[in-house]
Amino acid sequence: MSIMSYNGGAIVAMKGKNCVAIASDRRFGVQALTLTHDFQKVFEINDKIYIGLGGLATDVQTLSETFRYRVNMYNLKEEREIQPKTFAHLVSSTLYEKRFGPYYCEPVIAGLEKDGSPFICSTDLIGCTTFPNDFVVTGTAEQQLYGMCESLWEPNLEPEDLFEIISQALLNAVDRDAVSGWGAIVHVITEDKVITRTLRGRMD
Amino acid sequence: MPYDPHPNHEGFLNSVGSPIQHRFNPHTDNGGTTLAIAGKDFCLVAGDTRQSEGYSINTRYAPKVHELSNGSVLATSGMYADSVNLVLNIETRLEWYKHKHNKTMSATASAQMLMTVLYQKRFFPYYVFNILGGVDEKGEGCVFSYDPVGCYRRETYQAHGSSAALIQPFLDNQCGAKHQNIKEELLTLDQAMKITKDAFASATERDIYTGDYLEIFVIKKSGVTKHKFDLKKD
Amino acid sequence: MFLTRSEYDRGVNTFSPEGRLFQVEYALEAIKLGSTTVGIQSSHGVVLAVEKRVTSTLMEASSVEKLVQIDKHLGCAMSGLVADARTMIDHARIEAQNHWFTYDENVKVESVTQSICELALRFGESADGGEAKMSRPFGIALLIAGVDENGPQLYVFSETYNLNRFFYHKVSCRSVSIEGFFLGTYTQYDAKAIGSGSEGAQTELQEQYHKSLTLKEAQSLALKVLKQVMEEKLNVSNVQVATVTVQDGFRILNEAELAETVNSLA
Repeated sequence: MSIMSYNGGAIVAMKGKNCVAIASDRRFGVQALTLTHDFQKVFEINDKIYIGLGGLATDVQTLSETFRYRVNMYNLKEEREIQPKTFAHLVSSTLYEKRFGPYYCEPVIAGLEKDGSPFICSTDLIGCTTFPNDFVVTGTAEQQLYGMCESLWEPNLEPEDLFEIISQALLNAVDRDAVSGWGAIVHVITEDKVITRTLRGRMD
Repeated sequence: MPYDPHPNHEGFLNSVGSPIQHRFNPHTDNGGTTLAIAGKDFCLVAGDTRQSEGYSINTRYAPKVHELSNGSVLATSGMYADSVNLVLNIETRLEWYKHKHNKTMSATASAQMLMTVLYQKRFFPYYVFNILGGVDEKGEGCVFSYDPVGCYRRETYQAHGSSAALIQPFLDNQCGAKHQNIKEELLTLDQAMKITKDAFASATERDIYTGDYLEIFVIKKSGVTKHKFDLKKD
Repeated sequence: MFLTRSEYDRGVNTFSPEGRLFQVEYALEAIKLGSTTVGIQSSHGVVLAVEKRVTSTLMEASSVEKLVQIDKHLGCAMSGLVADARTMIDHARIEAQNHWFTYDENVKVESVTQSICELALRFGESADGGEAKMSRPFGIALLIAGVDENGPQLYVFSETYNLNRFFYHKVSCRSVSIEGFFLGTYTQYDAKAIGSGSEGAQTELQEQYHKSLTLKEAQSLALKVLKQVMEEKLNVSNVQVATVTVQDGFRILNEAELAETVNSLA
């Protein structure tokens, strides 16, 4: 059993038209044993950037704190909000610091850039970044999410449509993964607000 | 030649002194994806035609969906050589059955027979994931899904093979109406065709073992029709 | 007669110069000694009726078993050396269960009859590929009744059935689908009697049978025919009746049902 699938989980981020969405399941478990279904895997960096951390739960929490610390330091030193692209590089370098003893965590980042254009990014566990034009996925339900997103996603989705697509993609994907699921949380980031909804999926 | 602390002239030990294991592993996975959807009076069975081994493509056209002589269609994914032999085995049995009982085997009977054929090789299995599609005695579409040792179930839709994980949740959503506030209903042929083509186009994007061509068999009481479409070849 | 048979009736593997297998013909004599058994097919189901020879008042009549079930939808009545029948019934039951296991469907009546016939030929010395089950021919005839996708059917199996010589001109035979084989043959009938009283019974069936019999009428006819050829007076303890229908499959009539039919005869 790989350490990346010890706790399970599924996270997906998608681009829309002047909006971006990020969603995750809420399960926390140890292998086949489910412990809670209110576990946080998506973290707010600021009101324009969210990061989802998939992988080993202990590293999810450690990294979320590390990123909070580093973003705070950035804000204090620079006296400005961090931009998504900058944050992605911060994530990448933080992971690469532990090149030979890595955090077992593969993040996805969703945000809106200064000009309001959507930004998504994913990295591997040692910080190799990718910036696709459509969607990024991570976690044990990665394959299922790829299949769903590849079929459901289309360009220029409005916020409500984007919410529906990302929710359907996530809910159907986690139902075919034994170690993901138990509800979901979706954030749709738009220019003027962030819409956050928790979803009840199959609780089994 | 590095220093060898355990000189070994017998050939039983390797350079660090532990026993050498000689293990024959004859099973290979030749990739590829198959899918079947049952309708009210039809059944659709589809598969791509790419055959791979590791990172190389052996051929872009090696059909893994086989029309059987009893009017059912068998979709095979996994090890190609085993699937060829399995189909031959099944065809032989279909012919024998016809001679012995003076009738062609029904889809449900061939489904049960396939189970026994697979289980007979329980300890040296056919490394094949089967989906059997046909029309049952009532004229309704039927899909049977198998593991390599014969555990099977009747389903209304099923994906197997290298892209099963990508396609199955999509079928749950589109055929099984999962997470949609609508009643699950059997698809029309047009809907099933559209979903199948979409599913394979999507799988081809992300799965290196799926692509080249898509073959779709449509089984009705009146007979089987075959359709061929292009998939991306990269 | 016996003079000509000398030396040629010792083994089952030697033809006489006239091309006959005497041991096999003797087996037919054994069947002729069997108790009378009648089978009638109607469009609603098949009826089997047997005479039980209750030779002693101390004998428990219910322990005489001449009607047996092969599968839910298949039954059989026997006449001749009943012990020999057990081997065949076992074989038929295994065949039926194997078919169900392999194909998830009921075996056809004709298929199970065919498999009995194949077994019946496996006597004498073992040949390549087949093990001999018996040292001599089976001295048994069977009426095999069942329902399948072709409806209710009655088949007659006899080890030594020479249709042309003994029976062909006597029966009300609708279709002799496979005929003329000397050994291990089967034939489909609308109505058929086997055993000691079969000649008289068959003549009666020939006269009385018609296509539109109901199941009840078929039961009455079977008992009526038996009654005529039985030496003893027919009553509920010396006959047994079974039906095979689509709804209930093979079922032996209980005492009350049998009594009702028996009483309706008088």
